Amino acid sequence: MARILVIEDDTATAQEIVTELGAHGHETVHADNGDAGLEKATREPFDLITLDRMLPSIDGLTLVERLRERRIHVPVLMISALSDVDERIAGLRAGGDDYLTKPFASNEMAMRVEVLLRRQAQQPAEEAILRVGGIEIDLIRRKVKVDGESVRLLHMELRLLEFLARHAGDIVSRKIIFEKVWGYYFDPGANLINVHIARLRKKLDRPGKPSAIVTVKGEGYRLDAV
Amino acid sequence: MRPLPQPRPDTERLRLRDIRNTSTFRLTLLLGGVALVGVVMLTVLIYALSARELNARSDRILRAEAARLMAKPPRSLGREVEFAISHNASGLNFYGLLDPRGQRIAGNLRGSSGFTPGRAREIPERPGRHGPIRLLAERLPTGETLLIGRDITPLVDLRWRVTIVLMASAFAIALLIIGTAIALSLAPLRRVGVLQRTAQEIAAGHLEQRMPILGRGDELDLLAGTVNTMVDEVGRVIGQVKSVTDAIAHDLRTPLTRMRSHLDRARRQEDVNPATAGRLDLVIADLDAVLERFTALLRISEIEAGSRRAGFAEVSLTPLLASVVDLYQPLAEERGITFMLDTLSDATLFGDQSLLFEALSNLVDNAIKFAPEGGQVRLSVSRSETGLAIEVRDNGSGIAQEQRQSVLRRFDRGEASAQIPGSGLGLSVVVAIVHLHQFTLTLDDAAPGLIVRIAAPIQP
Repeated sequence: MARILVIEDDTATAQEIVTELGAHGHETVHADNGDAGLEKATREPFDLITLDRMLPSIDGLTLVERLRERRIHVPVLMISALSDVDERIAGLRAGGDDYLTKPFASNEMAMRVEVLLRRQAQQPAEEAILRVGGIEIDLIRRKVKVDGESVRLLHMELRLLEFLARHAGDIVSRKIIFEKVWGYYFDPGANLINVHIARLRKKLDRPGKPSAIVTVKGEGYRLDAV
Repeated sequence: MRPLPQPRPDTERLRLRDIRNTSTFRLTLLLGGVALVGVVMLTVLIYALSARELNARSDRILRAEAARLMAKPPRSLGREVEFAISHNASGLNFYGLLDPRGQRIAGNLRGSSGFTPGRAREIPERPGRHGPIRLLAERLPTGETLLIGRDITPLVDLRWRVTIVLMASAFAIALLIIGTAIALSLAPLRRVGVLQRTAQEIAAGHLEQRMPILGRGDELDLLAGTVNTMVDEVGRVIGQVKSVTDAIAHDLRTPLTRMRSHLDRARRQEDVNPATAGRLDLVIADLDAVLERFTALLRISEIEAGSRRAGFAEVSLTPLLASVVDLYQPLAEERGITFMLDTLSDATLFGDQSLLFEALSNLVDNAIKFAPEGGQVRLSVSRSETGLAIEVRDNGSGIAQEQRQSVLRRFDRGEASAQIPGSGLGLSVVVAIVHLHQFTLTLDDAAPGLIVRIAAPIQP
């Protein structure tokens, strides 16, 4: 369970975030303006902040910059009605860790929160080798082994596997996968990511063992340790 | 809608037929023709009056000489005639005295029929014998006929000269008129060409284009002004319709997204029974389809707003296209489609890399959808004098000529796509991206299949 600060001036959206994160077992604290949010974030410890980009008193960009100036490095998920790539880049440059545009599907928001929390938890260990069950990814030599047996992966397949491995156990949506692995922010259609996952799965699966990549219906994929 | 004639590039020479058909050319020819006929008529009149005066003068001289000789005694007339010839006393060269049967009595003219006594007439030249002659015949009381002639070679020469000068002048003037007509037609024809090309661009959806107005206040300026006003109004109405559509999409997206979240949470409840879960899945899928359309609509508006232009940079095409191939190769392979890339290593464009990737992804996605199982999709770049062209070609069923414009409009899906899922907005997103970059998008027949071509002109 994580402690999350929700800085959001729109009551309905705040309620949506609080409900969804509560359903995922997280404790939430709500601040409805920038000043209150900055004060709470400075005084109390949080595992993550969801931050509206446009707030009364202090806007989201300034708020995250001030947090970083005060050496508060809690992960920040910026949420904004501004969907333009430039806005997204501005949000990430100011110190945000991820960017979600409004309106958003609650489970998508929750997934991004989980991804950020997981990343935060893993941060001290910048390992050269990622291991998830029988899958072993040598990040330096760009080699993959499954149950000790080498598997040849194409460049994008390796990046996809690395992303899934870094968030092993988390459900990641197709949209998140496309953004984080390919670096583009439009919707390429569900089928395209499904095909890439299917190819990767084919290379990783071993007879007699369940697939390491699990499809979560209506949500996305999860890499499990098998 | 009847298609407009294809505009010709500026470099193509104007054809004579185009010039011939202009009203300026025809009007200039008409006025020039009238002026030419007037000049010819005036010259002919002046010549005719002058010739008549010269003939009358000759006739007076002939009559005076005839009167002088007829005053002489009839018996000495033969001698007088011979004397006049030998001494050339009157300046006249030809005389003849004929008996009542027409036989020559004296002089150097032989008898001839067809004379009307008292009236002068012209005898044409007889080579080796005499030149052209003006001849007067007078009947004498004795029944004899007196003939007196004058050499009119200078007059006939003058007539020829006048005729030749007249014809040469008429020919020169006619050439001058045609030349002037062509020269006068070229400028309006070129202007009409520019107006025609602008009209083509407006018809192709570039509503920001306007007809050029030179400020002369002529009929073409008036016409261009009227068309511009019309395009302003069309643009305003289309803008209004778009804003309403966008406002609906924007306002409905938030409550629909919340609705989806509620349904999703309900779906994830542990105690939900399978039948309800199935229904909820269907509702969520339908909601996702609606949200996908709204997102695409707002995305088009966002692109059309043009704010992304500020972030344009030099984009190298080869890595961009290679990424598109990397992304879609597995999808193509899954359908047994051969996906080929044919690029130029040094090709670059000035634009937004993410948007260009999105546009090309969209086109390749369509090509893979519409190519038959085991078919081919080719992504290629070519360079010409006018710029770069990126083509996405498939060997599917293609799009009928009459549908190629309409499929570029929002929500319009070609007949061939009836069985293939989609929102009908994918190509509209591509069109918006292409317009933002000021490129052009054309659909062509790949026989069989479709070629979608994005043409990027050389940057000035």
